[in-house]
Amino acid sequence: MRRRIDLRRLAQYGVVVLVAVTLNFLLPRLMPGNPLVLIAGVDVGLLSPDQRAEIVARVGLDAPLWKQYLRYWGDILTGDFGYSFRSSRPIVGMILDRLPWTLLITGLSLILSAVAGVILGALSAWRRGSKGDLSMLTGMISIESLPSFWLGMVLISIFAVQLGVLPSFGAVTPASDLVGWAHTWDIIRHTIMPVATLSILATPGVYMTMRYSMLETLGEDYIRTARAKGAGERRVLFGHVARNTIAPVVTVLAIRLGFAFGGTVIVETVFSYPGLGRLVFEAVSGRDYPVMQAAFLVFTAAVLAANLLADLLYPLIDPRTRAS
Amino acid sequence: MQLRIRFKGVLLLCILALVTVSCGDDDTEPVTTTTAEPSTVVTGAPATTQPPAPPTTVTETPSDMEEEPTTTTQAPTSEATTTMPETPAEPIQIRAAVTGDESTLNPYTYISGFPGWNLLMLQYDSLMQLDKNGVPRPWLASSVSVNEDLTAYSVTLEEGVTWHDGEPLTAHDVDFSVDYYINNVEASRFARDLRGVEDLVVTDDHNATFVLSAPNAGFELAALADIPIIPRHIWEGVEVPSEHQFAGGTNIGTGPYKLTEYVEGQSYRFEANHDYFRGAPAVDELVVIVFADDAGSQAAIRTGEVDVIFERIPPEQINLLNSQDPLEVIIGPEFTTQMINYDASKRPFDDVAVRQAINLAMNRQDIVDTVFLGAATVGSPGWIHPGHPSYNPAITTVYDPAAANALLEGAGYVDSDGDGVREFDGQPMSFEIVTNAPDSLRLRIAELTVEMLAAIGIETSVAAVETGTWEQAVWPSFDVSNGRNYDIAMWGWSAPVQADPLRLPQLVASVPAGGFLNLTGYENAEMDALSEVLGQEPDRDERNAILGRMQEIIAEDLPFVLLLYPDGAYVYDSSTYSDWEFIAGQGIVSKLSLLPPAARP
Repeated sequence: MRRRIDLRRLAQYGVVVLVAVTLNFLLPRLMPGNPLVLIAGVDVGLLSPDQRAEIVARVGLDAPLWKQYLRYWGDILTGDFGYSFRSSRPIVGMILDRLPWTLLITGLSLILSAVAGVILGALSAWRRGSKGDLSMLTGMISIESLPSFWLGMVLISIFAVQLGVLPSFGAVTPASDLVGWAHTWDIIRHTIMPVATLSILATPGVYMTMRYSMLETLGEDYIRTARAKGAGERRVLFGHVARNTIAPVVTVLAIRLGFAFGGTVIVETVFSYPGLGRLVFEAVSGRDYPVMQAAFLVFTAAVLAANLLADLLYPLIDPRTRAS
Repeated sequence: MQLRIRFKGVLLLCILALVTVSCGDDDTEPVTTTTAEPSTVVTGAPATTQPPAPPTTVTETPSDMEEEPTTTTQAPTSEATTTMPETPAEPIQIRAAVTGDESTLNPYTYISGFPGWNLLMLQYDSLMQLDKNGVPRPWLASSVSVNEDLTAYSVTLEEGVTWHDGEPLTAHDVDFSVDYYINNVEASRFARDLRGVEDLVVTDDHNATFVLSAPNAGFELAALADIPIIPRHIWEGVEVPSEHQFAGGTNIGTGPYKLTEYVEGQSYRFEANHDYFRGAPAVDELVVIVFADDAGSQAAIRTGEVDVIFERIPPEQINLLNSQDPLEVIIGPEFTTQMINYDASKRPFDDVAVRQAINLAMNRQDIVDTVFLGAATVGSPGWIHPGHPSYNPAITTVYDPAAANALLEGAGYVDSDGDGVREFDGQPMSFEIVTNAPDSLRLRIAELTVEMLAAIGIETSVAAVETGTWEQAVWPSFDVSNGRNYDIAMWGWSAPVQADPLRLPQLVASVPAGGFLNLTGYENAEMDALSEVLGQEPDRDERNAILGRMQEIIAEDLPFVLLLYPDGAYVYDSSTYSDWEFIAGQGIVSKLSLLPPAARP
């Protein structure tokens, strides 16, 4: 087993972090539009130049770019993301408020789509070329091409507008004063449609990976050997095929876990779900630089961590990658 | 063994996700503060010097949508207040939808001018309050008087008004509020309102006088009816106002509602202040729900999950929602605008003939019918809305492309090469119309404009760009002294610019003469002269005469082409509450809608 820290890989991660943080800093500043509107409201044009300068100075936008950049690094290292231009709230608090909701729906849909994708993919590959396999494959390809906002709106119009059985928006019923189990049940009811939308759309990806990975494995010589030596179907499937198939699927899931922190802008918007994706959407449309930067930083960190996780998990799953 | 590790890993991921979620749940508990109940009971009888105008709602079916003429009688004499049934036994709860979070809704944290300011003002009061015609009436002040030359406004406060925490309101709070806004300009709207206030003289606990550096006839509307009065005992210890949030008690006002719960990105809960000095509110609890987009709020009002949408609904939704029981749509005049701007400082738009031809070529009724499905008012070329008290009825709107062609022909703009496009100075009259892509109605107006201008030999194409880029082209850094980077642009002003006609000089005076909203580079000596005297004229009729003349010049000289005023349409569930009051130019989101009709000014 490799115990040594791989210095080259570590350096790679370092460079990626540096580039990501720098881009994070620059991108919002390269966008057209004036953040003053947000700080001072739409009536900014009616302010005197003195009043404007005072505001710009107060939020630190008057300093030279390199100074703002250094200060940005300082803030990151001290975990201080400052205050939102729009709402004047501390950004760390805003992100922490939103993150659990995002993780709730993305986490649940990750699990559901992983389970469904792996099972369906395995079945499909096992019965390769059968009618069942082909219709499943066609179905999955069709589902993958569905726009998420459309699927979300269809669900709303069926289950909320027509049938009236599920809430059409939000994460909880506002001002309902529910506690205990009633509160938990309320949260669950609110997750059903967003999670369903996300899960339905995420399943085909896992399914495809699983199916192809398994087909590849089934064609390997050692499977034929296993069968030749008289191993039962069950033993072949779980002992030999599954072990060798799961590695690419785990990689796909680990990377998705990283993206799960980013939330899902569209689904959170359709269901007015108070997650990170919606926070980012609002920040971008409102040029809320500090919030954008902090949120993007969270995404970058999550994606890098997920990659690292995949890197670390892979050798455990697939002994072949441990060698060199 | 390997297999076990693998499954462990996957399991670990799942557990990690679940744990983070369940831990996070604790963090998302609503931020709640408890405000102490007021200890003093105030008599709720309104004691205005002017009797309130009879309440009427402008409910119309979309088929016969018509402007309700806003007749403003300065001093209503009739005491025709309809007596409404006393407070109903069952508490009324209303759930209202807004699009986008408005932060914690104190004067330094609210976000948008609409509906953020409107929600803010449910908790606070200003010295004056707009009535349904959009005219300021004494409110926190029991009377307001002004001296002969419009430089000193004296207010007398209502007796016995208390803050939500029971402390009495005094003139020192007014004094403090004014100083605080002037010294902490992040609340730019209020800092701007108070520009020109030289001093505030407090004579006693209930009397104060605003001393202005220059005559200002618009001070009542622009400042006294706009600024929330804040409590000195809360704010005097606050050094960085924007960082001082809800939990710090900064949401204590005198208003009819108390904000008792705010869940970021999700909802607000307002509870009625039953001791409100103008009478206990008719609605006991107001829950404002934050939606990500208007499709969400429209679905929610159809499912019955919300009772009203605190946002204008788009024209195509009016019939759809109105036809569904128990939903009702209320429509009234709004003072926002849709207009064509051009750079009048350069060729060929510096030629008044070209500007007049563009004005004649615009089929405004067609735009109202096609784009707004009738839910808009045809624009007056003189700028002021026909429903506004200062409108000059002599201004007419003419659509005559033949006359426009003749005008251009006569001014020497001919199509010499026969390609259907006229030329000026040897170049084709071919321009780009800049507009902001996210505003789909405006984009459709731009597309119709292209066709209408093509009919008079002016070729245009629409450049739909991102909002920031569009603003930067039309109004670089929001400072007209930076010039302009466009030929033709679609534009529109928010309601306050038109609601106060005394702000007209800002739009049409030359830049050195104070036209800091003059985005088209227009200059006219007579206009500058009228702009100079308008705000200093003490006599109301004289001021209206000046405004009438200014509208004539605008309609003749066309610094811009005003196309239409979109009507405001709001949807509500009539089975929950239907006493919504439409304030001309402001809509239904105000404390008037939630107070019993007898308490409305």
